[in-house]
Amino acid sequence: MKLGFSAADELFRQECADWLNAEMAGEFRDIKGITKLTASPERRKEWEQRLGEAKWGCIGWPEQWGGRNATLAQQVIFAEEYARAGVPGRVNHIGIELAGPTILAFGSEEQKRRFLPDIAAGKTIFCQGFSEPGAGSDLASVRTKGRLENGAWIVNGQKIWTSLAHISDWIFVVTRTEEGSKGPKGLTFLMMEIDQPGIEIRGIKQINGDAEFNETFFTDARCPADSMIGAVGDGWKIAMGLLAFERGVSTLGQQMAFRNELDELIAAAKANSAASNPLIRQRIAKAEIGLRLMRYGALRMLSNTDHSKIDGAALTYKIQWATWRRNLGELAMDVLGQAGEVTEGSEYEWDTLPNLFLYSRADTIYGGTNQIQRNLIAERGLGLPREPRGDV
Amino acid sequence: MDFRFTEDQLTLTESVRDYLAGTHGPEVLRRLDAATEQGNAPRDPAIWQGLVDMGLTALLVPEEHGGLGLGLVDAALIAAECGRACLAEPLVDTAFVGVPWLLAQGKSDQLAAIAAGEVKLPLPHAINPWTADGEGAAVQSVDPLRVLTQGSGPDDPHLLNLGALMSTAQLVGLADAMLAQATEYAKIRTQFGQPIGAFQAIKHQLASCAVAIEFAKPVVWRAAAAMQDGIASAPIHVSHAKVAATDAAMQTAETAIQVHGAMGYTYEVDLHFWMKRSWALAGAWGSRAFHLKRVDEAVLSGTLEIGPQSTFA
Repeated sequence: MKLGFSAADELFRQECADWLNAEMAGEFRDIKGITKLTASPERRKEWEQRLGEAKWGCIGWPEQWGGRNATLAQQVIFAEEYARAGVPGRVNHIGIELAGPTILAFGSEEQKRRFLPDIAAGKTIFCQGFSEPGAGSDLASVRTKGRLENGAWIVNGQKIWTSLAHISDWIFVVTRTEEGSKGPKGLTFLMMEIDQPGIEIRGIKQINGDAEFNETFFTDARCPADSMIGAVGDGWKIAMGLLAFERGVSTLGQQMAFRNELDELIAAAKANSAASNPLIRQRIAKAEIGLRLMRYGALRMLSNTDHSKIDGAALTYKIQWATWRRNLGELAMDVLGQAGEVTEGSEYEWDTLPNLFLYSRADTIYGGTNQIQRNLIAERGLGLPREPRGDV
Repeated sequence: MDFRFTEDQLTLTESVRDYLAGTHGPEVLRRLDAATEQGNAPRDPAIWQGLVDMGLTALLVPEEHGGLGLGLVDAALIAAECGRACLAEPLVDTAFVGVPWLLAQGKSDQLAAIAAGEVKLPLPHAINPWTADGEGAAVQSVDPLRVLTQGSGPDDPHLLNLGALMSTAQLVGLADAMLAQATEYAKIRTQFGQPIGAFQAIKHQLASCAVAIEFAKPVVWRAAAAMQDGIASAPIHVSHAKVAATDAAMQTAETAIQVHGAMGYTYEVDLHFWMKRSWALAGAWGSRAFHLKRVDEAVLSGTLEIGPQSTFA
């Protein structure tokens, strides 16, 4: 067990901070401090490309594909400095954290050459086409159909909750390619270009007024056969492999965003004297402890280089952070009181803390609800008997 | 940065776990408990001697005093195993709290005797109105396997942090053991024609315990490393760990009883030994409220560096 940072790490930290601060004071000063997910999409795409040019886009990737082969400590440091410099979240995090690693693990050499450099360069923004109106918690019941015709896949059906689809270039889609198949069998994993006549995107307005999620409709949409990842029928295996990447280093950047949210809450509590209320103080202390739990949990999880098995830490991470953040949103409202229920201006737009309260309701649902997470933990982690799963 | 344990640490931990699993099962707890009904102390010299023979009393004693010279991270791992086995002998107090405290005081005269297992150290402290295995008239504790005596000692902050740290390590081990017992029971107890563990009402409660334990552990190891390295924020790391480990253990104790149904309320099911030890340790070396207050003061009064200006590894 070796904690803390070496002298070389500290030099690296300085290098990160210098570069990020210069960018946020220079060409990209207009996007500094943005926390809303859908704000300034075009400028943030340019920011992705800037990161890519300077090789800061995906530092944990192999050098061959545009990364830096960065150590865990370096990735921790970059995530910390990124948040500290007030840089907005990554609009291509699906590409960097999910699509890229999936192609790296399951794609052909040709596909790696075709996709990875552009993802690393911030030129290809990806979104994820898993959920459907009839396939939410029961993800394996997807019905979007793919059929092979003259060397191309023809896709028909609908995906939903497609985050940032409206600003993305590509979508990866789990399709049912075997007629009459059920559950995890007969699924195939396709990479599809969004800008084509057969794909239509419609935003879904959320309770916070924003529209990050979308419905994505496929009507005879086309996908060249060489954009299938893995083999026909491998879709479920690849989708599950992809979800395992979610425990990746994105958690570190995410935690710095959480740190900033908690700090903003603490500042608000001091400003309106909620911090003198012992009950509020206790809850703030609990929130601080919860953040530490996630922090050291993630460091332990990421230190474990054997990713071949899903360990307890990886299995439990989602429910922990989602619940923590939902509780933080509730605490924020208790700190702000009625002031948290009004917003300036005529738009239905919210500052960080009220938005946290609203947005964090989604955290305990997407990517597997808390209830689905508990099923997985109990069945895979504790070995309890499985839930009935219909006729699958 | 590397949050993993060394091979040596894992091997030592595993050997202690195997040894205690083989020699210190629930039947031993029942036998010790039965001794108290005849007015004897719940102690068996053979258990202590076994721990001495394993070298555990010498774990933190420097090599020049006949010890192994290991660190607090090693000791915390072993303390968790003591919790898992619900060990009542004063090994953790004497060898993992008392020894590093003596070392910090520069007192070395008792170290060789402690390493050899000839001295057990009661650790009176102002924060604990009762001391385990101390001198004087014994009072009945809720934990039937520990002997308490009344009377507290000096208000020494380092001793408090060491005691709290090692309590947290025992608590995560206790929680692990209770979760394992409840999970096993949920697999074999059948109602409505199936194991009760197939019902979400049961499995979700057990899953929530697994989450609490999984996340309490790294904070305990972080606190141990912070104490071992002597960093300035170590007391706050200890308080993080005390709250998290206490919550995980108490939640698991309550859930394990609930999962066992009416049997969980009986003296016959061994679960109560672990539950009561958890309760006893939750209150020792600073209650949950005490440690929450340390954290809230550090966070809200600015003694702890927070925010993006500081790293929080």
